[in-house]
Amino acid sequence: MMNYLWGGLILISMIFAVGGDVYDITRDTYENERVYVLGIDRVSGPLVNNQSLSVVLKDVSEAQGVTYKTDGERAQLRIDYSEQLPEQWKIRFGEDTDQPISVDVINNTADKLKVRLPGIIWPRLDRMMQAAFDMAEFAARLALGLIGLMALWLGLMKIAEHSGLVSALVKLIRPLLKKLFPDVPEDHPAMGAITLNLSANMLGLGNAATPMGIKAMEYLQELNEHKQSASNSMCMFLALNTSSVQLLPPVTVIALLGVSAGGLFVSIFLATLCSTIVAVLAAKWYARRWGQA
Amino acid sequence: MNQIGIVVMPLLVSAIVAWGMWKRVAVYEVFVDGAKEGFDIAVRIIPYLVAILFAIAMFRASGAMEFLFSFIGPVVEWFGFPRELLPMAITRPLSGSGSLGVLADMVSTYGEDALVVKMAATLFGSTETTLYVLAVYFGAVGIRRTRYALQVGLMADAAGAVAAVIFCKLLFG
Repeated sequence: MMNYLWGGLILISMIFAVGGDVYDITRDTYENERVYVLGIDRVSGPLVNNQSLSVVLKDVSEAQGVTYKTDGERAQLRIDYSEQLPEQWKIRFGEDTDQPISVDVINNTADKLKVRLPGIIWPRLDRMMQAAFDMAEFAARLALGLIGLMALWLGLMKIAEHSGLVSALVKLIRPLLKKLFPDVPEDHPAMGAITLNLSANMLGLGNAATPMGIKAMEYLQELNEHKQSASNSMCMFLALNTSSVQLLPPVTVIALLGVSAGGLFVSIFLATLCSTIVAVLAAKWYARRWGQA
Repeated sequence: MNQIGIVVMPLLVSAIVAWGMWKRVAVYEVFVDGAKEGFDIAVRIIPYLVAILFAIAMFRASGAMEFLFSFIGPVVEWFGFPRELLPMAITRPLSGSGSLGVLADMVSTYGEDALVVKMAATLFGSTETTLYVLAVYFGAVGIRRTRYALQVGLMADAAGAVAAVIFCKLLFG
């Protein structure tokens, strides 16, 4: 399944990017090479370098506030982004509206600026590959960034294990754990790590939950007979973690919604309960269907 | 950080250390012993994280998602699932920061009191970033064959989405 999803993501992305670009080329969405005549208002002479003026783009729209910068043949136009701008100009701005549009200057007189839009080819493919490279770099940085917190919590966990704190905690929810993880021996340290991970998740202590979860995975791997293949216990543990057992709304949601987040306690709790129940039942059902690894 | 976290975190840390000292554990030595694994784990995760995150980044940048929304939007709407919620439901299992961006977008488009925004926030809070969790947890122990873990995770996401719609309609609708 993972192979299909992963390969599918990449192939589908490729198809859509190429398809979108070919469609744009045939439809001439970007109006490559099209010549525009921009009418200049309230200016006595031709536009000079680095001038910021109020102009009317006759051919384009009533867009205001244009900054003009030129080296003679090419010019950088910076137009205040507005809804009236035609679609192909908006595309050229992209999401970064501070980006100037680069145009070829054909003619520059007192009241007219004749420019030609340069060609844009394969922008989707370009953007897609750039995103892929950026993300690969980010992924490594993300993983390395985890080192500190991971070390902190793994260290504290070791103390809790040695002092008997974990086994005391495990005793509280042992009946539940035995049902969920029938393959894990009762006194195995995996039970402790699972308990810690679930407690941290419930309290919304995300940066503590991940190291504890990874520790739990390592213990479960000790019990796993096929080291490259996930055991039933591992799948169950992952099911609990992906369905989120958090009891409180995430901090980020509270920050975004402000006061209205208050009412979400109930709905999030109920929805979480549903997704967790489905996850557990599905994991149990698959475990029976697939058997041991 | 929420208020509970502010209190619980330091309490937890000091309680663990205090209990360890009470039980005559060599707390400093044991801490260092446990902490040294942090680096290995982080390095072990890298290939898994790169594999997952770059594929998702390509998918998001290719424009395939917009097409998907317009294609299956009418279908899910027929079942009573709001079309506006679709970007959230599809982004949530793929990308944590992406789905947070979708939520922020929805708040600014529809306002924070809109029913569909409450649904989106509920959906966001009720499931995790399935693919990220899978990459990190399985990556840390070198599991390549995920067996049925992905299916279960995605089923939980779907259940969370449906439950978010139903409960928000009942509670706020």
